[in-house]
Amino acid sequence: MRLAPLVLIETVAFLLVIGETYLFFAVVVPLGAVPKNPLEYTGMAALKIGLTFGLGVLWFLVIAALTRAYVSSRIRRQIPTPST
Amino acid sequence: MLQGLADAGLLSLSFAVPLAVVLVAMPPFMRFLTRSGRVAKDVHKRPPTQVPAPVGPVLFLGALAGELVAYATFGSLVPVAVIGAATVAFVVGLTDDLFVLGARVKPLLLLLAGVPLVVLVAFQRDLYVPSITFPLLGPSAEHFTIYTLLVVAAFPIVSNAFNMMDSFNGEISWFTLLTSASVLFAVVLRAAFTAGFSLARVATTLPLVAVAMGFLVFNRYPSRAFDGDSGALFMGAMFACLAVTGGVEIAAIVAIVPAILNSFYTLSSVRGFVERRKMATRPTYLGEDGKLYASMEPSAPSTLVRLVLLGGPLSERELVRNVVLLTLAACLLSAAISLLTWVH
Repeated sequence: MRLAPLVLIETVAFLLVIGETYLFFAVVVPLGAVPKNPLEYTGMAALKIGLTFGLGVLWFLVIAALTRAYVSSRIRRQIPTPST
Repeated sequence: MLQGLADAGLLSLSFAVPLAVVLVAMPPFMRFLTRSGRVAKDVHKRPPTQVPAPVGPVLFLGALAGELVAYATFGSLVPVAVIGAATVAFVVGLTDDLFVLGARVKPLLLLLAGVPLVVLVAFQRDLYVPSITFPLLGPSAEHFTIYTLLVVAAFPIVSNAFNMMDSFNGEISWFTLLTSASVLFAVVLRAAFTAGFSLARVATTLPLVAVAMGFLVFNRYPSRAFDGDSGALFMGAMFACLAVTGGVEIAAIVAIVPAILNSFYTLSSVRGFVERRKMATRPTYLGEDGKLYASMEPSAPSTLVRLVLLGGPLSERELVRNVVLLTLAACLLSAAISLLTWVH
């Protein structure tokens, strides 16, 4: 039972890795035709970089939130709160 | 039938030779290290014991022998690329063992581990395919530049992730054995279900499994040998190279999710690259009862081990068993991914 929450975090991390890798290679990389206009080209490149960064941030936020919830719940259990 | 038997014999050699090298060369090398005073303090024992370190050179020798057998028998450049990546990471690790490199220098130097693979693809076009094959969905489109950049970036990440799983007796040897077996499973499935997929890639994967298995004999609790950075870094680089050349990246990433999470927890809690010897507070501490406790210091790095210990104190042997179980769970997910990807 000690490992159940960590296995859950591991499973979420695994699902995010697969889903985000797929999004990166299937959606972000081939996004749009190669634009001829330099402004469009820069805009498209910036969009792709932004989306890639967004995928990384999403993974980070989800895992950090799950971990923080796990750590605080464990610490709450170990530190008895004063009775009301 | 005869061809199948011959292939099985050649594959057995790629496994048996590195295993034999590690098992035979390790005891005299451990004695040599002890005689020359190269021992590390096992701080998780009460009182601390002295353990010969680093035995990375013997592990590297075993892996090198296995890859040379794979090259001699199958003639592909895949083992050469693996040797190249492993050699760079081994040299970086050994330098760190002997002189201690900075926390930022090491990842930069490990970028070089990807260079042999990128150079050799010019001589053997199918060394790696610049796309990723997804379970059920099949391969993505090929993007050589993006894929190659990601491959080069993967070497320091994976090598360091392996190195960060090297803190307790038997942790790194169990971790490497289970994760490399997962990659082997994926490559074997791919070889069985993909026409024209060379057995050389299976032969190239076997030495890492054999080296980890041999090392486990000496590294399991209570450890008689520590691998040092020279061992952990080269095994991580080999793992990354095998995942790329085998075209089983997703299965490999899933297998090492515990190590990825461990690196993520550590890097995000200490906010950047910090050499572990220079961390102000330790994530765990050894109690008077000989058990390991999670540090309750807010500034302590949130390693995977600390998260496990937040559930209560454990002996070192129990703790490593928990980390092995987490790795096993990831490896089962990896096996499921491999089945969904290659069996059709």
